[in-house]
Amino acid sequence: MTSLKELQESFQAGILAGDDAILGQVKDSAREERTVLFGVYRNAYVARLAEILGNDYELTHTYLGDAGFARLVKAYIGANPSDQRNARWFGRHLPAFARTTAPFANHLEVGEIATLEKALADAFDGPDAAPLMIETLAALAAEDWPRLTFQPNPTAIRLTFTTNAADIWSALKDETAPPKPTHLPEPQAVAVWRQDFMARFRPLSPEEAMMWDEAAKGVRFGVLCEMVATFAGEDEAELRAATYLKGWVDTGMLAGCQVEPG
Amino acid sequence: MNTDKPPYLGFGLGLRPQHYQEILSGSPAVDWFEVISENYMIPGGQPLAILDQIRERYPVVMHGVSLSIASTAPMDKDYLTALKTLADRVGPKWISDHLCWTGVHGVNLHDLLPIPYTEEALDHVVDRVGQVQDFLGRRLTLENVSSYVTFGQSEMTEWEFVSEVARRADCWLLFDVNNVYVSAFNHGFSTDDFLHGVPRDRIVQFHVAGHSHEESHIIDTHDHPVCPEVWDFYRETVAHFGPVSTMIERDDNIPPLAELVEELDVARKIAHEVQDSAQRTAAE
Repeated sequence: MTSLKELQESFQAGILAGDDAILGQVKDSAREERTVLFGVYRNAYVARLAEILGNDYELTHTYLGDAGFARLVKAYIGANPSDQRNARWFGRHLPAFARTTAPFANHLEVGEIATLEKALADAFDGPDAAPLMIETLAALAAEDWPRLTFQPNPTAIRLTFTTNAADIWSALKDETAPPKPTHLPEPQAVAVWRQDFMARFRPLSPEEAMMWDEAAKGVRFGVLCEMVATFAGEDEAELRAATYLKGWVDTGMLAGCQVEPG
Repeated sequence: MNTDKPPYLGFGLGLRPQHYQEILSGSPAVDWFEVISENYMIPGGQPLAILDQIRERYPVVMHGVSLSIASTAPMDKDYLTALKTLADRVGPKWISDHLCWTGVHGVNLHDLLPIPYTEEALDHVVDRVGQVQDFLGRRLTLENVSSYVTFGQSEMTEWEFVSEVARRADCWLLFDVNNVYVSAFNHGFSTDDFLHGVPRDRIVQFHVAGHSHEESHIIDTHDHPVCPEVWDFYRETVAHFGPVSTMIERDDNIPPLAELVEELDVARKIAHEVQDSAQRTAAE
């Protein structure tokens, strides 16, 4: 008798690879042939995963249309059998897949729209953290500020887009006609994070992106101010740095700060 | 290990995100909620925060879809740890999953796949249920699934297999009324044989759901209201087992909450009619 292990391997191959060996192990019913009955499992596998991806990448779907998204989904499912117990993570490789697999890779904005959708979903149910409050900063002594370091909100994700994917996403979200895809002259920095229960994103200027990236590495505020001065001029550099910082605090992008010794 | 039989909770619904606000802002006539465990095995954010609020107001049970208890793949310790962590947070009245497998070799097919009803499979499942129960420190509740194929090598009926798992592994059973109906139609057995073939003292929950009839077979889709035939079988089920916590499952084409509450009232009405009739018979 075929062992349980062999039977399950054969059953799985019947679903994933269309292998018909399993049909020798299952029976016709009184009303239906086994090929049709086993086909319920084959069909359900693809349909379920496609539904998961459709939910996770709703605006990528809207952008590509039904036929285009179905092509992407079919290719992704074929290349990525789910290795996750939780369907929530099945589609996590889709943005990279779209960026690197023809014909989708020829339309860079597709992978970038999917990247933004994934980042927003990850921020939505990412780790909880109390936000850094402006009162905490206001209570600091002036001499402590240069030694201040910051913790980003744990849901914060920094992205860099080469296309106008963020504008396309916003138009699709507003149910308006998206702009034509374009390759940007300079890469666009984007921050994604969750404020309260809302996943958000916004573009960052090159200077703000530089300061955010360094702050996220634990660079002290005093050094951040120097970097800002180097980046775009000393004139009002500290004010620019403080303005960026206030923006991060006001929108919950930071989860904490501390004054480093020495 | 906690071996107390879970309490009777009345009539419940599956917690679905579409209904979060309505549940929290109103007081729908729902006695308890069942949550899909995997949907809350996430780091944080609104879904877990809402679940925290719901569990303060209603009894909650956890229902998983990927324990894969019958799989020949090694037990997934990360999954079990996540399940236990969620249970510690939620405090569910019980934890259920399906008597099925979902994949091997690191693959998850996201489906409830059928088991051959053999002694080998029975030994395997009983051993795995024991491992899970030891890990969780509580009895597991297992649900019979809808199936579309049967195996030539099966040595016993589904209800014999289910009953033996419950007896030997010392676990609870979730009797899915719709799944029995679906599998009975698909495989040509009698729903009554199944009903009378499983141990009454092990049943802690009923599921009732809608399905899709494909003429030669029925697919368990949970995207329709419960059909009259399944309500008829629910009536028989309640008459046979007595009051058991009942829950309506809807996973697709999810209607407004009020519609599901109305459907839940059908279950309540049937259960009360059965109970009244039993009391009258006893009084005569």
